[in-house]
Amino acid sequence: MGAILIVAEIQNGAIREASYELAALARKVAGSREVKSLVIGSGVSGEAEAFAKRGGGEVLTADQDALANYNVDGYAKAIRAAVDATSAELVLISNTPSGWDVAPRIAAGLDSGFVSDVFNIEEEDGKFVYFRRVFNGKLDARVIQNADQAVVTVQPGATNAFEGSTDGSVTALDVDLGELRAKFVEIKVAESKGVDLSKADVIVSGGRGVGKPEKFPEVIQPLADALGGAMGASRPVVDAGWLPHAYQVGSSGQVVTPKLYIAVGISGAIQHLVGMKGSNFIIAINKDADAPIFEVANVGVVADLFEVVPALTEAIKAAKG
Amino acid sequence: MKILVCLKQVPHQDARLDINESGSWIKEDGIKFEINSYDTYALEEGLRIKDAGEAEVVVASIGPDRVSQSLRTALGMGADRAVHLKDPEIGGSDALAIAKLLAAVAKEESPDLVLMGLMSDDANAASVPPMLAELIGVPSATGVMKLEIRDGGVRCERELEGGALEVVDMTTPCVVAVQTGINQVRYASLKGIMAAKKKPMDVKTAGDLGLAGQVGGAAAKVQIEKIYAPARGDGAEIIEGSTGEVVEKLVGKIKELGLL
Repeated sequence: MGAILIVAEIQNGAIREASYELAALARKVAGSREVKSLVIGSGVSGEAEAFAKRGGGEVLTADQDALANYNVDGYAKAIRAAVDATSAELVLISNTPSGWDVAPRIAAGLDSGFVSDVFNIEEEDGKFVYFRRVFNGKLDARVIQNADQAVVTVQPGATNAFEGSTDGSVTALDVDLGELRAKFVEIKVAESKGVDLSKADVIVSGGRGVGKPEKFPEVIQPLADALGGAMGASRPVVDAGWLPHAYQVGSSGQVVTPKLYIAVGISGAIQHLVGMKGSNFIIAINKDADAPIFEVANVGVVADLFEVVPALTEAIKAAKG
Repeated sequence: MKILVCLKQVPHQDARLDINESGSWIKEDGIKFEINSYDTYALEEGLRIKDAGEAEVVVASIGPDRVSQSLRTALGMGADRAVHLKDPEIGGSDALAIAKLLAAVAKEESPDLVLMGLMSDDANAASVPPMLAELIGVPSATGVMKLEIRDGGVRCERELEGGALEVVDMTTPCVVAVQTGINQVRYASLKGIMAAKKKPMDVKTAGDLGLAGQVGGAAAKVQIEKIYAPARGDGAEIIEGSTGEVVEKLVGKIKELGLL
């Protein structure tokens, strides 16, 4: 049996929580396999030590100037070197923007199995079985492996992080980067354009179900106003150009935790749920009873939003007097 | 410049999802299909590059007869030529086998740029584009929200968490997997749809690409054994009744939160 190799990720100068989730998951299914890790970057011995002490096991570092920022070529070479050095049978990478960028390349280079965005892994009779979602969160899939080796990305936040301390080691891994065909230029921070949903007590968000751009000021905004809150939107609304990106709630927009979140005509794709499931109280209004949003909502209404929302707006105004 | 756009035909986003007999996928009879939404943005991006200068846009897709309709739609929007990989042997392929098929097409076409969507609306796997890039030995960038063609390469802006963007330069040829919202997708004009009927569409099998025996369920390194409705847990308390009754109960809940 080969090792399980965890590819850790550094964010804001520290190993991110998702990497500790990989450590716990690896140990859950490892059996007698060794757990090893890779930390990539420039000047990362501190982060590597921290990971070795909390679940990382034997930590390898690919530590070079050229790896200071993520770039697909350099990181792919570093990961491949670590896979070869550890004879990894299973490679775990967090499904983050850099994870989903590089992981499939590793699998293709190894001619191995590849499973993405899993929310669980089980070990059955010595083989790994993976669980992930399909059709934008509407159905679950059980995936089996026919190959000896697999690269797997894991959904951040789907599993528990490793708690406790471990004895680990940190060893430098030499990686010949050669010529890199991708070059990091810079990070551009998202502009807020005056819409800060993080401070709103109430957010009323509209999704694709709202149907037309004019229905946002006609139907969604009035409810938000009546409740003294802010209007938000799901990704498809912004993609369609109905509202600017500043209104987007989700993993690539704003993550919000208001007292009340009302999701109107939003199906509840995982990227949206990530942005609002921490809300104190969630009301969902959607005509599709199977919409995944109803899994995270406290209260749900399966109905036509154009019947319910205007009536609710009037009732709120009346209640406020 | 030659651009290869790889499209996937997927169940329409509002299609009924009934699980098939073997429990391994959904029933495909009687539902509508469409071009994967992410891929429509990739096609639009290719067509914009073509509009701005000299470029040939070739579209490729894999699947049964029904896929030709999606390819005709793409030709109607402005693509120049289509390649349809149609072969019963391909059924059950994992992402790596799909990538191998598309890599074989790319090797024949030698594009400067391969454009695809970040993921598909059905599998949501986001696997094929970087795999394809690795197989043909070129760099790749995923989740691209802005693409600029420059001398000898491209500059991409990749979407990060929170809406931040990572700016990265790549040499060409390369593979770019776009995120939804990178552009606004055009509709095919009636004139375009008529012209599409005369545009070339080549049909190929796995064998034509030298991949007989290397694709399909038998060669799959991973496969979906079962799909099923998720265990519904507690979920939401569903409020029922007339609009008036529902609204009254909602107002009650909002009052309990101290927001009225």
